[in-house]
Amino acid sequence: CDSGFEELNVNPDTSPIIVPSYMFTKAQYDALNNSCASTYEFACGGSVQHFATYKDVPGIGDKYFFSQGTYPYDFFTNAYPLSVNEISTVIRTVKTDAGQSNLYAIARIWKAYTFHRITDLYGDIPYSQAGEGYASSNFTPKYDTQQSIYLDLLNELDQAASSLDASKTSYASADLVYGGDVNKWKKFAYSLMFRLSMRITKVDPSTAKTWAQKAIAGGIILNDADLAKVAFVAGGQDINKNPVSLALRSNNYAVANGNDNTEGGKFASTFISYLKTNNDPRLSSLAVVWVNKVQDTTSTIQKGMQNGLLQKPSDFGTYSEPNINTVLKLDAPMIILSNAEMNLLMAEAIIRGWASGDASAFFNNGITASMKSMALYGDASAINSAKINGYLSKHAFTTGFDAQLEQIHTQMWVSLFPDEVEAYSNWRRTGYPKLTPVNITGNLTNGTIPRRLLYPLAEENLNGPNFKAAVARQGANTLTTRIWWDKQ
Amino acid sequence: YSNVEKSTNSAFSTTAETLLTELKGKVTSAKDATPVVGASVFLKENPRIGTSTDVDGNFKLNVPENLEKGKLTLVISTVGFEKQEIALSSGQTQVDVTLKESLQVLSEVVVTALGVKRDKKALAYSVTEISGGEFTQARETNLANSLSGKIAGVNATSLATGAGGSSRVVIRGNGSLSGDNQPLYVINGMPIDNSTPGGSPTTGGGGQNVDRGDGIGGINPDDIESISVLKGGTAAALYGSRAANGVILITTKKGAVKKGIGIEYNSTATIDQVVDYTNWQYQYGQGDGGVKPTSQAQAISWGRRSWGAKMDGQPYISFDGLQHPYSPQKNNISNFYNTGTTFSNTVAFSGGNETTSFRASLADIDNKSILPNSTFNRKVANLSLSSKIGQRITIDALAQYNLEKAHNRPSAGDAPGNPNWSNYMIANTVDVRSLSPGYDANGREIQWNETPYASNSYFVVNRYTNDDTKNRFIGQFGIRYDILQNLFIKGNVSRDFSNYNYVGIIPTGTVYTTNAAGEYQGIKSAVSETNSLLTLNYNTKLRSLQVNAMFGGNQRNFTREEIYTNGTQYIIPFFYSFTNLATATTRPATQRLATNSLFGSLDLDYKGILFLNASARQDWFSTLGIKNNTILYPALGSSFILSQAVELPSVINYAKLRASWAQVGGGVPDPYTLNQTYSMVTSSGQPLQQITTTNGEYLLNNPNLKPFTSTTYEAGLDAKLFNNKLGVDLTYYLRRTTDDIVKTAISGTSGYQYSYVNVGQVDNQGIELLLTGSLLKTKNFSWDASYNFAYNQNKVVKLADGVNTIQLATSVGSWAYVNTDIGQPYGIIKGYTMVKDAKGNIVYDTSTGYPMKSGLTQIGQGVAPYTMGLSNKFNYKNFSLDILLDGKFGNEVFSVMNVYATRFGLQQSTLAGRETGLALSGVTASGDSYSNNIPVANLRLYYDNLKNYSNLFIYDGSFIKLRQIIFSYRIPSNFLKFAKIQSASISFVARNLFTLYKKTENFDPESSYTNSNAQGFEAFGLPRTRSFGLNLSVKF
Repeated sequence: CDSGFEELNVNPDTSPIIVPSYMFTKAQYDALNNSCASTYEFACGGSVQHFATYKDVPGIGDKYFFSQGTYPYDFFTNAYPLSVNEISTVIRTVKTDAGQSNLYAIARIWKAYTFHRITDLYGDIPYSQAGEGYASSNFTPKYDTQQSIYLDLLNELDQAASSLDASKTSYASADLVYGGDVNKWKKFAYSLMFRLSMRITKVDPSTAKTWAQKAIAGGIILNDADLAKVAFVAGGQDINKNPVSLALRSNNYAVANGNDNTEGGKFASTFISYLKTNNDPRLSSLAVVWVNKVQDTTSTIQKGMQNGLLQKPSDFGTYSEPNINTVLKLDAPMIILSNAEMNLLMAEAIIRGWASGDASAFFNNGITASMKSMALYGDASAINSAKINGYLSKHAFTTGFDAQLEQIHTQMWVSLFPDEVEAYSNWRRTGYPKLTPVNITGNLTNGTIPRRLLYPLAEENLNGPNFKAAVARQGANTLTTRIWWDKQ
Repeated sequence: YSNVEKSTNSAFSTTAETLLTELKGKVTSAKDATPVVGASVFLKENPRIGTSTDVDGNFKLNVPENLEKGKLTLVISTVGFEKQEIALSSGQTQVDVTLKESLQVLSEVVVTALGVKRDKKALAYSVTEISGGEFTQARETNLANSLSGKIAGVNATSLATGAGGSSRVVIRGNGSLSGDNQPLYVINGMPIDNSTPGGSPTTGGGGQNVDRGDGIGGINPDDIESISVLKGGTAAALYGSRAANGVILITTKKGAVKKGIGIEYNSTATIDQVVDYTNWQYQYGQGDGGVKPTSQAQAISWGRRSWGAKMDGQPYISFDGLQHPYSPQKNNISNFYNTGTTFSNTVAFSGGNETTSFRASLADIDNKSILPNSTFNRKVANLSLSSKIGQRITIDALAQYNLEKAHNRPSAGDAPGNPNWSNYMIANTVDVRSLSPGYDANGREIQWNETPYASNSYFVVNRYTNDDTKNRFIGQFGIRYDILQNLFIKGNVSRDFSNYNYVGIIPTGTVYTTNAAGEYQGIKSAVSETNSLLTLNYNTKLRSLQVNAMFGGNQRNFTREEIYTNGTQYIIPFFYSFTNLATATTRPATQRLATNSLFGSLDLDYKGILFLNASARQDWFSTLGIKNNTILYPALGSSFILSQAVELPSVINYAKLRASWAQVGGGVPDPYTLNQTYSMVTSSGQPLQQITTTNGEYLLNNPNLKPFTSTTYEAGLDAKLFNNKLGVDLTYYLRRTTDDIVKTAISGTSGYQYSYVNVGQVDNQGIELLLTGSLLKTKNFSWDASYNFAYNQNKVVKLADGVNTIQLATSVGSWAYVNTDIGQPYGIIKGYTMVKDAKGNIVYDTSTGYPMKSGLTQIGQGVAPYTMGLSNKFNYKNFSLDILLDGKFGNEVFSVMNVYATRFGLQQSTLAGRETGLALSGVTASGDSYSNNIPVANLRLYYDNLKNYSNLFIYDGSFIKLRQIIFSYRIPSNFLKFAKIQSASISFVARNLFTLYKKTENFDPESSYTNSNAQGFEAFGLPRTRSFGLNLSVKF
């Protein structure tokens, strides 16, 4: 009495067959396309004072409010069912196939990239048991300590990098970053290792040093040619568009008149003032003021909006916002790990005495790389060598460890834009640039810049014991609790 | 109830015979010698010769001489007495008869599973039958809503989603933790589809979050002969898994053998008035920090802040840039909404001869909603045919066609596109009409507050559109072949097919959409529910034992084929076509599933005293793995007519005891939930593959699912007391669901958001009581009352390993959850409270100055355990008055609206501190005393923060409502003869007239906005209405 039932119970629109490279591409998109408005602009971008808004709801980073919605935990909520589950599924599929060892290794590297961004925002998170719902029916993954996650990520990168083999098959065009280029992935793995090792300088300098040296020895991204970026298209499906551009436009800047920004967003005065004061040529690559519905990049009229406003300023339309024809183009490439960052971190490693070389040269290379990368957003935002050299001559590398560190990471703060998640992590680690918090009545942090984002409230309901254990260990699920590497 | 009796009841006169002898007599009751009125008296040999007794019990009958005396037998029968036969002796002219009271008084025939009519006393379970006439006068657009308060144990919840919206009916509590818990609807023995196209509204959906109506809503009450509600498992065992939540059996009207064509016309016109439950504060007006807006920009920023100065009636600048008096605006709700109207017209024709009868009806129901520009129309054509071909073959057929059109169904849930939101939340000195028409010269939505997500309600009603059309065909065909006199075979096929087409336009100019360029959603859905049933029936009598046996099989096929077309940003503004979108996706969704079943039943009747019923059914489910896809489940029941078996005290006229035990098994409701699959994502670049999502949800598939079982133990008592004036029907039941297949929310960190799992055990225990009384009866006046009461205690005994809780729903902002936890009833509401110390002092967080927030804790129960209904019917001559009250008790509602109203300063409770600030005192976490003064400038933020303590917004959901009044006048037939009208009546009808008891503030306790399991939340539904009007019913 059940003949034909098995065939009937097959969904005609789905397939039992996984194509690892197709899912890998999806995992790449999804790791980048995660709450790019709420997390990038409102939470992280506001906290590092790149962005400001006069509204309450998006004011997490701007004024340390959380009045409504899901913004402080969107990144967490979205990451696991999409990028985490996808990359975990790719890994499970190719893991045991020796012929696909490069696919396995690159997937491990991408998984490390995916996870470090989650833990950097939240601290302890489900890691070792995450994404195992189908494979091992684990519906309540435990929260791993950030320390153990970091050590595992570093190990994973090490193993994956050393297992890469240029003679074997790779992802080819399914890899949006390097087209499957195994040698470049090796550099990416060591560069990510370098980023992660430097991240733990405050909490565990000796481990940081060990891994930083290992990363440098392995070979990191120092040249434009190796810069890791993903290309997007302007037309067609949303998933193929630059997710930061798409999200920032949708939530603020698409109206294109400077006045009706949906979530009340603008560039923050801290950011624009810094660029303007230092005659930074990146200012006119990134920022515009709308004048009669036309974008005007004239440096002199650029100004940022104060953080901590509670109502719309009457001159709202005259503040700077991101240029929708350069950095917010729908087909703007997205830089995920740059030679600018690596050069600046090299400068730091050298002044720490963990590496040899000319810190000043790395510092200059870092700035140069950042400025040259503006050309990726189109000719209109390209910065010529004369302007770069002019800037470098006025911003020579200084002396004294603290001053040098401030200089390096103030540059990092500019050059990481618009990767606000990384900018926020780097700022929390280094404290540079020195930002003045706002103190608005009703804020949740007692007038301090948030140190993390919030776990989803649903976790307390659905994964209660593990959630409670994490909170007991790490501290209350608040914006002020410091995560492991963010030692005071 | 033989045919003989029926014909004699209507045939008075005898045919003219040449010689007649007059036979006289008196019929009296054996019990108290009172005359028996209206008994029929006739000759057994020629039933056409008969009469009936008059008010004194006397009769006269002319007996023809040519029928040989001495061989004649007189039959005397009437309802409530045992039939008696008396042999007449030759020449006899006088015969006095005493009749024994019989059980026939209770011999009610009710429709049971598979459409089988059975004597109620033989049933081992509780069945309630309601005549179709109960639904045709004071109408609800959705039939299921009319069940409210009428049947013990049936919890009908009407939703705040307007005329074309869906219903939620739950019988004997929520047995399943996550299934839809609604009963199976069956018409003439065959199931229909009751799904909601595009799914039920969710708590947080955007502007397309509308309730698109359900299947039962499409049934026209005028076509209904009766509705039987099968509550217990035994009753339902023959329908299998989907009957685990009970069955509502609808029997449609048929044609009758009669001369000429019968015409019935029924017309109802009602108006719907908005009921405004809000009771905001009107002392302090729009503004913030104790001051009123001083500029237009500020008035917009503060559009939903009533934190201003004391109202003084002076002009101030409002969000439209104009001066308005700073005065209370108390009528925003009634000013925004219209008076709704509903016109319902049905005309039915019926007729037939000895071999064939038919009934055809046409119905039109037309609703103009209280929401401006929102309408709903339903046309139903129904044709029923019965034919007897020769001696052995009987054919029945039913064809129904529905054409349903809805225009601008209201969106529910949180703010975007919800037209109700701004009417409630607008600052209390702003006249909502100043938002009209909601758009500027460029068609752009005019913002009245700081967030684009809180839509301008006039923009929504004037510019948003959604239109849907449902074409539905229900076809049934049955053939019965009598092989022998006591053996027949019966085959039925039925198909409920609907084609649904929805287009929702969020227009150009909607400020919350990207670039204010709008959004589009289209749903095309074709659903069919097909059932084929074959049964073999045999009955025989073995001495004192009547035996009925039945064996059969059923095949069910269900398909749903849907195409979702979604897109954003109209390229050419105001051109609302799918072809004109900057981004667009098309997504097919297919569901196909089948269940095959074999079943049998055996009924034994011992002398009408003891009845025994046994049945068994085996199901095979396509939705389960081939190893786990079948289940056999039995049912056993017995009833015992105590009053027949032993002598009872004379006050007890009838008593029946019944007991039953039944199992029902079931599979996964949805197909394709077993193995993980992968699907392609439309891409403009590299090919993309994802783990398959189900309707956009990350659903974890589970290959190990097995069927669940639901076991019901039921015992009951039926009694008639005091000369049948009082009826009692009492039932106790225990319904135990084990291995329930539950779709539960799981931690997203598993990689999935939902999963189907077999889970533990849920017990529902309850009592149902039905009291019926004939309280007063005189020649011209009668008063009948009926009271039903039900109590259901629901307890979750066990959950699956690794599952801590079943999360059924979350509110906006995760302020509250509807959960199921071990040891608690189904659907508890969980949330947060202020932390208090042992002495009850509030513990403050000194860094924020706000009370500390507790961990997640239980704050209420979403489903009412007690329900009741009270109906009173009065008749005086040609007038009748019917009053229905109903009530529910013991549940709570979490009010999302009151959270917002507190945040925005509308709630009365926010008046504290307006003049001099709010002094708070309590303790710190370390136990030191703490005090804090919140200055007026910061009051808004203080009250805004109260959203974190969800228990402040929990309300007792108990209510008693005056649900229905029908006041009728039956026009005397002698006035109607000239028009050949058989009968006519005109009635004043009213529904939902008054709430007699409630505890909720600012909202109606029945404000649920979804028919899903998310019961216990209120969130800006359409206001409730009070309806009244006139009904005219004419028969030709």
